Amino acid sequence: MKKQNLTKTLNPGVKFLINYAVPIIFTILVAIAIPLSGLSGEYLARELMTRLARNSFIILSLLIPVMAGMGMNFSIVLGAMAGEIGLIFITDWQIVGVPGILLAMLISTPLAILLGYFGGIVLNRAKGREMVTGFMLAFFMNGIYQLVVLYGMGNIIPISNSNILLPREYGIRNAIDLIGIRSALDKLIYLKVGGLLIPVVTLLVIAVLCMFIIWFKKTKLGQEIRSVGQDNDVARISGINVGKTRILSIIISTVLACYGQIVFLQNIGTMNTYNSHEQVGVFAIAALLVGGASVNKATIPNVFVGVILFHTMFIVSPRAGKTLIGQAQLGEYFRVFVSYGVIAFSLALYAWRKRVEKENERRKAMALKRVLLQSTNTAGGDKF
Amino acid sequence: MRKRIIIRITLIVVLIFIGIFLYTIGKEHKVLIDNRDISVGNITYSADTTYKVRVDNQEIGAIEKGERKVARVAGVSHKIVVEEIKDKVLTGEKYEKKFKLKTNESATVNIPAMINNANEWINKTN
Repeated sequence: MKKQNLTKTLNPGVKFLINYAVPIIFTILVAIAIPLSGLSGEYLARELMTRLARNSFIILSLLIPVMAGMGMNFSIVLGAMAGEIGLIFITDWQIVGVPGILLAMLISTPLAILLGYFGGIVLNRAKGREMVTGFMLAFFMNGIYQLVVLYGMGNIIPISNSNILLPREYGIRNAIDLIGIRSALDKLIYLKVGGLLIPVVTLLVIAVLCMFIIWFKKTKLGQEIRSVGQDNDVARISGINVGKTRILSIIISTVLACYGQIVFLQNIGTMNTYNSHEQVGVFAIAALLVGGASVNKATIPNVFVGVILFHTMFIVSPRAGKTLIGQAQLGEYFRVFVSYGVIAFSLALYAWRKRVEKENERRKAMALKRVLLQSTNTAGGDKF
Repeated sequence: MRKRIIIRITLIVVLIFIGIFLYTIGKEHKVLIDNRDISVGNITYSADTTYKVRVDNQEIGAIEKGERKVARVAGVSHKIVVEEIKDKVLTGEKYEKKFKLKTNESATVNIPAMINNANEWINKTN
């Protein structure tokens, strides 16, 4: 309680430190790890550019549910699964290049909408517990995905390409080579600056998505989503269909995550049919939190700061671990520990801040009540 | 209400057409390129030198006589360019042909037949 009282008198500097604790810690860690890794600036810049183009889209898909007050959408995994199904089909049909990527997006869109709708309904039934529900929903859906891909494809869903089918002639192989669309978007138009390859089209697509999000916030639906995010009851009284608005925000997020996964996998060039989507939610959320976002506030700059800090850690931690302890694997362990730790830390910080805010509000209300009572008593005393 | 349904149906139809268009322009075809002797009726076109081959600006490389190479191309319309090589030097003789492939077709191009303008220079299979 003493600690909570302290927060009332915090100066702006301390407030800033509390609000941006995660990015500050990460910046310090990165600043220590970069020189330890001994990696050249050019290598680091090249790797960062690749990861910026690869990951930004999927992280941006998390912003709209945060706006709707639904926290970090762990169910973006559903969108990623939809994207992968689209990629399986285009690989089966041997559609290559940018048309292949676009067709995968087109095929997976209705599926992502359906999954988003389903996710939205489930999350509406678990108001206030959206994140953990989304997390479990992803596990549940993963089971269905595996059932469909492992037993349905080749059996019920026609798949003719023997290169992607298991030898038993049904079920998809563990890994699919996306050679037909590998870097198709990244290498469509690119700039070469020194040793740095800038994927112009991919960055342009990300920029368009950023502009879409900015524009979307200003639309009627965007405003409704924001008011739902601020207060469900006030939004309901204002005539907004809260449930529908929340479902729509999850649908948009799922569809964007589906496209994000396609952009991600075209960059990688191979798809682990049964694993590629599993960590998508956790890593995207960790990156966003590292960028300074919180469960109730996330902005576009948070996405890019997060990608840069989080992925710099990805790049430098094995080498830094090797220099520091003599084993690269330990650096990897450290990075994984930090990735998950950062989510736990952010969530705990958010819960603590929320509790302090509530306590402060309660105190203010009590003080107001006391003042009102006193003034009533004084007025009553004067009367008699 | 009816207007909304019409708009939605139109949108779905447009998306289906876009899908078909993307399928057509993105479909990959296998083109086998033979530099082998071929007999068409009573005439035999024989392979007697090496050719440098390019399909849709995609460099396939030199194909020596009796050799076969594969090109993977996407879309409907294609162009094959064959340049003659003698004693490891380009002679400047250049042959160019255009061809179209349907969505499920693959093709075998015979260079000796192609440079002699024989009708059977390309054999399309499903």
